[in-house]
Amino acid sequence: MPSSQALIANPLIVLREEFDDWAILFDPDTSHSYGLNPVSVFIYKRLDGKHSFEEIVSELRSECQNAPDDAETDVQQFLDDLLAKGLAGHAAQQR
Amino acid sequence: MRTMLTPRSVDLSITNRCNLNCTYCYHFESKGNSGRDLPTEDWLHFFEELNRCAVIDVTLAGGEPFLRKDFRELIDGIVKNKMRYSILTNGTLVIEEMAAYIASTKRCNSVQVSIDGSWPGPHDAFRGEGNFERAVAGLQRLKAQGIPMTVRVTIHRHNVDDLEAIARFLLEEIGLPSFSTNSAGYVGQCRSHSEDVQLTIEERTRAMETLLLLNEHYNGRISAAAGPLAEAKHWLEMETARRDGDESHADCGQLRSCGGVFSKMAVRADGEMVPCSQMSHIELGRINQVDLKETWQHHPELLRLRERRTISLADFEFCKDCPYIPYCRGNCPALAYTLTGEENHPSPDACLKRFLEAGGRLPERRNQPQQDCC
Repeated sequence: MPSSQALIANPLIVLREEFDDWAILFDPDTSHSYGLNPVSVFIYKRLDGKHSFEEIVSELRSECQNAPDDAETDVQQFLDDLLAKGLAGHAAQQR
Repeated sequence: MRTMLTPRSVDLSITNRCNLNCTYCYHFESKGNSGRDLPTEDWLHFFEELNRCAVIDVTLAGGEPFLRKDFRELIDGIVKNKMRYSILTNGTLVIEEMAAYIASTKRCNSVQVSIDGSWPGPHDAFRGEGNFERAVAGLQRLKAQGIPMTVRVTIHRHNVDDLEAIARFLLEEIGLPSFSTNSAGYVGQCRSHSEDVQLTIEERTRAMETLLLLNEHYNGRISAAAGPLAEAKHWLEMETARRDGDESHADCGQLRSCGGVFSKMAVRADGEMVPCSQMSHIELGRINQVDLKETWQHHPELLRLRERRTISLADFEFCKDCPYIPYCRGNCPALAYTLTGEENHPSPDACLKRFLEAGGRLPERRNQPQQDCC
């Protein structure tokens, strides 16, 4: 993913927050579900087509004081995983 | 105690009406039979709230859900609001067109059809003449569309000696992957016909033995969350633990059954939210009038039912001197209510000590295939 291009959460997927900031992503068409830890939930909630990769990482660093030095790599891997599973996509370009 | 922010599943009685009048129906003669059915738009509005609460699936029941003329519209609302659904039905009104429609949504977890015999006699004895053939025809229509199906066999005095034939009919002739069993419980209309319907101690003993044998023969394709098969498995574990002097089993010794109030709730046909369709007398507020999430998290009655798991069985006179307390969870609160007037009480119907005192015998222990149980 180009780092500046904003992602958007798949609107057909349900984000279900259950306990203590943990959540599951549920695909009602396939019944598949994916567990999200609190950091993943933080990121997923910012996939609104407006937050760039850099903005998400910046917000994460300001929210989580102990974010590791290579947080960008972890965020990138998570976003790549979401893309591969169809749980997020690139926001349509405005003309 | 941790509780989910919102229920994961909700059971919806979408109608009070039924084309049958089964002798042991839990719905009729209960508070759940609340007279008035909600109009379509009220359900559709509520589905939007379920979506906002990220509810994953709903179960459509009744009455008989296929009686609703707006059934497709309701299913459309469920699909539009990103949920999946299951249906509980007597099967007699399933037409090919509707089965094809359900299949086309690709959101149906399962359709459960009630079939109580391998031939019309045992089924129609309590469900009415001609309804076995109609239910089987409905089941075949669902099967033809590739819809995930399941059958629930309610065991009673007229089919307790037909269990072997029922298993052969459902698993071999119809070709179901599995089916589930329970027994007619002392709820709803069954209370007025208990002697005709409910198993005697001797019949219950026989049903447990037969179902364990059948389940072994069919490699675990028969399941049960309640009734003779569930009791046989659980009670054998309890007896083994007592005999071996085991320490208390996990989640036992208190009123731990059941866990439904931690993940599910229900709505009556008139729109009243209730903890469970079997506890329709506990009213929590009307849908679209009170907030679901607020009700789920804070309603005093739900909190009271969730607290029940902190109540020790040893505190009940009913459980006095019982050697099975360390291995017992107290069983269904709805049955406890109908039999004792208290939800937060052990259920006398599912009490091993009482069963043995009444002359019941546990079957021989067998190596049971693993399967889900509540």
